[in-house]
Amino acid sequence: MQEIQYFGEHLWPKNLGHILILLGFVSALFASFSYFKATNASIDEKKGWQNLGRVGFLTHGLSVFGIIGIIAFIMVNKYYEYAYVSQHASDTLPMKYITSAFWEGQEGSFLLWMFWHVVLGIIVMFGSKKWANPVLSILCFVEALIISMIIGIQFEVGESVVKIGSNPLLLFRDTMDIPLFKNADYVSLLSGAGLNPLLQNYWMTIHPPTLFLGFASTTLPFCYAVAGFWLSKPKEWIKPALKWALFSGGILGIGILMGGAWAYEALSFGGYWAWDPVENMSLVPWLIMVAGVHSLLIANNTGNGIKTSYIFLSLSFILILYSTFLTRSGVLGDTSVHAFTEMGLENQLILLLLSNIFIAVFVFFKRRKLVESKANEDRFDSREFWMFIGTIILLFSSILITASTSLPIYNKIIQVFDPDFVGIVINDAIPHYNKHQLWIAIFIVLLSSFSQWFRYKGKITDAYKKKLIKHISISLGLSLVFVILINLILKIENLPYFALMSISTFGIVSGIDFLVAFNKFQWKQAASIMSHLGFSIMLIGIISSGVNKKHLSSNSFVFEDIVTKERLEKNVTLIKEKPMFMNGYWVNYESDTLVNNERTYNIKFSKVDSTNKILEEFTLNPMTVFSNDKTEVVAFNPSTRHYIGKDIFSHIAGLPKQLMKTEYAREMEDTLNYQKITLSENIPFENEQFIISVQKIDFDPSHIDYEKEENDLAMGLTLNVLDKASEKSYEIKPVVALRGAVVYKFFGEINDLGTRIRINESFFESFFVFERDVDYKTVILKEGESVMIGDYTLNHKGFNRTPKNRGYQAEEGDIAVSSLLEFVGKNNEITNLEPVYVIRDSRQTSVKDFDPKSGIHAKFTHIEPSNGELEIQYSIDDRESNIIELEMANNVPRSDIIALEAILFPGINLFWLGSLMMLIGMLVAMAIRMNAKKV
Amino acid sequence: MKKAYIIGILMIVFGIGYLITASGDVSSYANFDDAKPDSTVKIAGNLVKSKPIVFDPNTNANYFSFFMEDKEGKTMQVVNYGAKPQDFEMSESIVITGQLEEDKFIASDILLKCPSKYKDQEVLLRKNG
Repeated sequence: MQEIQYFGEHLWPKNLGHILILLGFVSALFASFSYFKATNASIDEKKGWQNLGRVGFLTHGLSVFGIIGIIAFIMVNKYYEYAYVSQHASDTLPMKYITSAFWEGQEGSFLLWMFWHVVLGIIVMFGSKKWANPVLSILCFVEALIISMIIGIQFEVGESVVKIGSNPLLLFRDTMDIPLFKNADYVSLLSGAGLNPLLQNYWMTIHPPTLFLGFASTTLPFCYAVAGFWLSKPKEWIKPALKWALFSGGILGIGILMGGAWAYEALSFGGYWAWDPVENMSLVPWLIMVAGVHSLLIANNTGNGIKTSYIFLSLSFILILYSTFLTRSGVLGDTSVHAFTEMGLENQLILLLLSNIFIAVFVFFKRRKLVESKANEDRFDSREFWMFIGTIILLFSSILITASTSLPIYNKIIQVFDPDFVGIVINDAIPHYNKHQLWIAIFIVLLSSFSQWFRYKGKITDAYKKKLIKHISISLGLSLVFVILINLILKIENLPYFALMSISTFGIVSGIDFLVAFNKFQWKQAASIMSHLGFSIMLIGIISSGVNKKHLSSNSFVFEDIVTKERLEKNVTLIKEKPMFMNGYWVNYESDTLVNNERTYNIKFSKVDSTNKILEEFTLNPMTVFSNDKTEVVAFNPSTRHYIGKDIFSHIAGLPKQLMKTEYAREMEDTLNYQKITLSENIPFENEQFIISVQKIDFDPSHIDYEKEENDLAMGLTLNVLDKASEKSYEIKPVVALRGAVVYKFFGEINDLGTRIRINESFFESFFVFERDVDYKTVILKEGESVMIGDYTLNHKGFNRTPKNRGYQAEEGDIAVSSLLEFVGKNNEITNLEPVYVIRDSRQTSVKDFDPKSGIHAKFTHIEPSNGELEIQYSIDDRESNIIELEMANNVPRSDIIALEAILFPGINLFWLGSLMMLIGMLVAMAIRMNAKKV
Repeated sequence: MKKAYIIGILMIVFGIGYLITASGDVSSYANFDDAKPDSTVKIAGNLVKSKPIVFDPNTNANYFSFFMEDKEGKTMQVVNYGAKPQDFEMSESIVITGQLEEDKFIASDILLKCPSKYKDQEVLLRKNG
């Protein structure tokens, strides 16, 4: 086949990018190997290998930054010949979403992950002399595996094609074979899909980088654990690993929490956590990391639990890889709403997972004799014993979540042996997980509350014992009071939830007691207390907002006992400008406005008391988001009013079908039965139902659905419709437009009457007479003269040598001049026209001018050179007795309604406050430990 | 090490307890023939596009009804007391969770499997090209 020479392609990003990807891969392997040698080498050789390792790692880092830079460059410059650009960017994509578009794709998110690995690796390289070699050796190995995910090599082994990685810098024409790419100028034809409108918000800008920093940060504790065992230094690795583990716990947690906040604030899930597989599989590594932090604390304080720490830290990282596999392999397609689509790289993902499991297991067994198990027993009254139990419970929790989330994997495995197996699924995910995790939360709060009173190694004196008993009694007593008070508000009847609430209250009270009275504000433990206090507060927030959430937009208050879960009505139908009463609020759908691809609804809530006195008024603005081509609604974005003690959350749950897609609107319009009616400007139309009269004819009309284009011919009517039955009159403004040979009719709608009226196309014919039917009369006058023609006075106001007339387009060599004519009617209404006289190629022609409003046509047909007499031809259409044909449809379903869901979440701020306290507590703990080192 | 054994035994007890309670939460995909009035099942199937899909906020914003054909080819009316999910007509297949009530299936949850929203490998051309 002949090679096609393409125009307009930019090939250097591809060429340079491919080199950098390969370089990044090779240099990561090289760095890993050099650092490996540096770790094992004798003192004299160490330096050399270490330098090689540094060169390799920095080369790798620069390659990764370079690839990111190139992709960013081609996205900013919209090089649509690249598949990745075409799939994620578009002409209309605002610059602020370029980063979001970059990591919308799998390849981009792998790069983001590597970016953070490189950044963290550089910190280790310069900050940790002792550990840099082994840690970076492992980190570079992980990097080599991840960058292989974007390497993009295919080769055949026997019959099957092996695909290694997916390259983000592939040209479109290399990814598929379609006739378009036979066109040498195909680049100029391409456009982009752009960023999914659901992802066009600031959450998509901040959530992925935070989450991937969290992902990347789990690698470092793993590296330190392996390095510690590798170098046979069982104690020394604990302190640096603890700092990194605290960092990881804090950042990963914040990343997950941001995901929850995004779901709650910007998506219409109606909650922050749904136990979706993707959510679960990011939570589990965090739980294990938290277990790892506690295990490291035990190891740091007692020297026990070193192996356990190793296991937890490795497991956390391996679970991140497992989560990557689950979310990116397409296995979860059936059970999750937000998994990535399949990329055909499952085997490579499994390899990534298995090779790291191998490293962890191999090093562990190689050094299993490193830590000798202690003969002495853990004491029941020691802090470490109960902390250890806590970590085991976290592990247990993770196993339960992972087991349930991995059902699709289990099904796949069984299906290999038994193809008829249909697979099992969890019926109702949220109660399934809540049921078990609730008890785990109870145990965790109990353990964390009690273990703070114990001391490491159980050093308890009698005096201490006395103090202890005193404070436990105070905490229990106070908690009891608070539990009763809180339940007066929350009214929890379900026993497990009540237990959780009581225990959490105890957790808060004992935490505060411990901080204030027992511990006397010791800075060093403040971080830990803050985290544990945060956890209890978060639980109260979960119970309060979850168990006690109430649908304002429902019948749940009235029929709580009779209505089953399925029957619970969550939505109310609101008609525009018809306020509706629900659960103490008058709710009024006042208006809506369309800006770009978002329609914002103004829903006014007025809280009233029993005498209907208004206590409070506010407006919520839920939105519908249209697809990038604006033809269909793709998302309903919620709007929330925040109070200190509660949130009122609302979103649009449904719209009439015709508002969801332009296609449906057209279908509906086509099925309506329009009847013709006629009237004129002076004579209204009347039947038994309505009187319809013309208020105004508009020659420059506007209509919500009509987008003006050049050379359109458009007219609109302002109609007054009087409904005889209700004696109410309505004003509507239908529009008809002619574009090329196609007539577009834009109806006016009266929802209250179920009536739509549009203008019949014959309306044009009565206003725009065909040129051959125009009956011109001739008048002769001179420049500046006035003549009377019928009811009009015609004034010649002069010439224009650069004529302005829609019908005239200047060409070179034209001799053109227009007459500025003014027609003054009997009521002094003025019409200005500018017909053109042209000599082109030594032939004389004229270009007419026409004013649709007055119906005056004018031509400037001749100039007599001898005496300067001008020949003007004119014609005036009859405007008075024009027949206007309309079309009217009745019994049209309303379009001015919405189905609204409004939910009251009491105490949801406790959830945000508590979870933030918990996570920031970890970061504070890390900071305290960093400072302690310097002193 | 004895305490570790105690923990181990406790975990096994918890684990068995978990399995007993969780087994009720799990089921295999059922058919309409398996559906009963008092137990919740999950059924996978396809939307019957030739039969009416009813959701009309004009009359009731909490009533959504459609017909689904299960994997065995049996068709039944499915009712959900809520709003119609987005892109419902586009769905390739549907998974419903719920119970039988007279001759209708009352779904408490509807999960759609839609063709990827991320429009893989679609060539977009300029409109004025």
